[in-house]
Amino acid sequence: MNPLLPFLMAGDPSLEALPGLLSEARSLGIEAMELGLPHSDPIADGPVLQAAAQRAIGRGATPLRVLEALAGITDSPDVILFTYLNPLLQIGARRLQTLLAPTPVKALLVVDLPFGEEPAFEADLRAAGYPVVPLLAPTTTLERARQILLERPDPGPGAPFAQRFAYVVARLGVTGTGQAMDLGPVSARIQQLRTISARPLAVGFGLSDPRSLAAVRALGATPVVGSALVQELASGRGLSDMLSGRLVGDA
Amino acid sequence: MTTGFSLSSRFGTQSLGGCYAPETLMQPLLDLEAAFRAALADPAFEAELKTELRNFVGRPTPLTPAPRLAAKLGLKALFLKREDLTHTGAHKINNALAQAILARRMGKTEIIAETGAGQHGVATAAACARLGLACTVYMGVTDMARQAPNVARMRLFGTRVVPVEAGQGTLKEAVNEALRAWAGSCDRAHYILGSALGPHPFPTLVRSFQTVIGEEARAQVLEQSGALPEVVLACAGGGSNGLGLLVPFLGDALRRVAVEAGGHGMVLGEHAARLDGGRMGVLHGCKTLLLQDEHGHTAETASISAGLDYPALGPELAALVLDRKVEVRRASDDEALLGARQLCEAEGILPALESSHALALLPALAAEGVATILLGLSGRGDKDLSTYQARLGI
Ligand SMILES: Cc1ncc(COP(=O)(O)O)c(C=O)c1O
Repeated sequence: MNPLLPFLMAGDPSLEALPGLLSEARSLGIEAMELGLPHSDPIADGPVLQAAAQRAIGRGATPLRVLEALAGITDSPDVILFTYLNPLLQIGARRLQTLLAPTPVKALLVVDLPFGEEPAFEADLRAAGYPVVPLLAPTTTLERARQILLERPDPGPGAPFAQRFAYVVARLGVTGTGQAMDLGPVSARIQQLRTISARPLAVGFGLSDPRSLAAVRALGATPVVGSALVQELASGRGLSDMLSGRLVGDA
Repeated sequence: MTTGFSLSSRFGTQSLGGCYAPETLMQPLLDLEAAFRAALADPAFEAELKTELRNFVGRPTPLTPAPRLAAKLGLKALFLKREDLTHTGAHKINNALAQAILARRMGKTEIIAETGAGQHGVATAAACARLGLACTVYMGVTDMARQAPNVARMRLFGTRVVPVEAGQGTLKEAVNEALRAWAGSCDRAHYILGSALGPHPFPTLVRSFQTVIGEEARAQVLEQSGALPEVVLACAGGGSNGLGLLVPFLGDALRRVAVEAGGHGMVLGEHAARLDGGRMGVLHGCKTLLLQDEHGHTAETASISAGLDYPALGPELAALVLDRKVEVRRASDDEALLGARQLCEAEGILPALESSHALALLPALAAEGVATILLGLSGRGDKDLSTYQARLGI
């Protein structure tokens, strides 16, 4: 099982630092990584990722510059591009495929794209090897979860984690470091989802301390750490230091 | 529980609208559509809404002939649909009250809203006080400063007003923050969106609660003048008063016109004119005409009017425009100020800055040879007194 899915905001601290960070993550054994595409109106993000996106945009991390910065990089975990829909729509499915081809991006997590809203766009990208990650929220009924997993199918055990996993949103609200979370509901959720799907699950939103990460691993799922990493990175901490502490730990 | 929408979420030949929402909000939106449909089918809902619109809001609002202003502009007849005379002073109360009743039917105990000009915030605050619901309103800091009387009114009604510092501190950022807050509280809160925008079912919901404006106005103008006007005219921020007034006239052979904020210039960032300046894009859950830069980032906007200072035109209105059923024009800050002054002097009515954009188009329509006009006076201008004082030197 994949023990950790880290999230970084592209362009924060800088686009120049990105190749080094990806290479460092890979050398720590990180298999897949979420990379945020900074957006002007991140309606599902809390203050930490909002601020990171603002900083990155202020330093010129436009979608095209981010994709250019990723082009040619091979020493990297598989990248899941975490983004809002509008920048992708403006680039267009065809051009996006061309731009993604030389990058380590393996899947897209489009926060504001429910299945069925842009079927042609999504089908084109999936056919080109860029599936959209299924998201399951605390409000998602089991029936809807089944439908989502069907609409965004598991390509099967031959495919990498980045293209197979479903993202389980741990709590209501937006991204961000929260209070120490009661993982009871998440545990029940995962058990419930196991009855309808065998694909890998990642759990995110509000996780940061080694104990809750270990607790998620104990449920057989991959913990996602985002805001906490972004915050620590912005305050000058090194990636290896941040990640290695979070790759170990007991529930 | 429902897993799909029943009502169409798309508008026009280009399929605008839709439901581009984060997954957390999908079930709440599905539940909202189901509750809306159930309410429409329930005579008790209609009866309660009708009674409250009469006894609390003051409907029907008058249709006031404006003969002195008409004469001054060279028009044969001008009629004003007086949404400024509703309780709380703008059309926003029609939607806020209806959604608050709907929220109570859904068993929600808290209400969230965004506001730009503060009129939707005040209307929601009043409706919540009347129905005994807890209310939180998100408002950009720029708007809080320029619409200060409305901040005080909301607080008097017991509403918590949360300042939004991000970006330009205007309506767009307030919607961002309200959507985030709703994702955190959707198990107990309903989000009363104030214009005909956002993810499905909001555009349809808001329009359906605002068409009372046009239904009344159409009957009133026929009664008063025996004929329909040549032009029906409204200002357009997100598009709720525009759709409310114009949709009931869609079957008539007349011109329907919506006026956007021309701000203080033609360059992106200096206005909120989405038809000329916008491209198709997705913001706040719907696909529509959007002011954006080449990266798909939302552009900055500018308008003297907080209620029109928003980068997207609501999807249904945008679709009607693209399908040539509604014309869009723009009026600048200065033209709006002049329009307001003319109405004040000729008829003794102080319009909201938003409504003044519709007034600003009257000279141009008169010059085109139009003789009879029905204008939606969406709100009153008390909230804008400080701007009028500063800009008109009074
Ligand atoms: C008086 C008034 N008119 C018009 C508007 C614009 O909104 P809409 O286009 O939804 O009617 C507002 C918004 O705040 C308003 O307060």
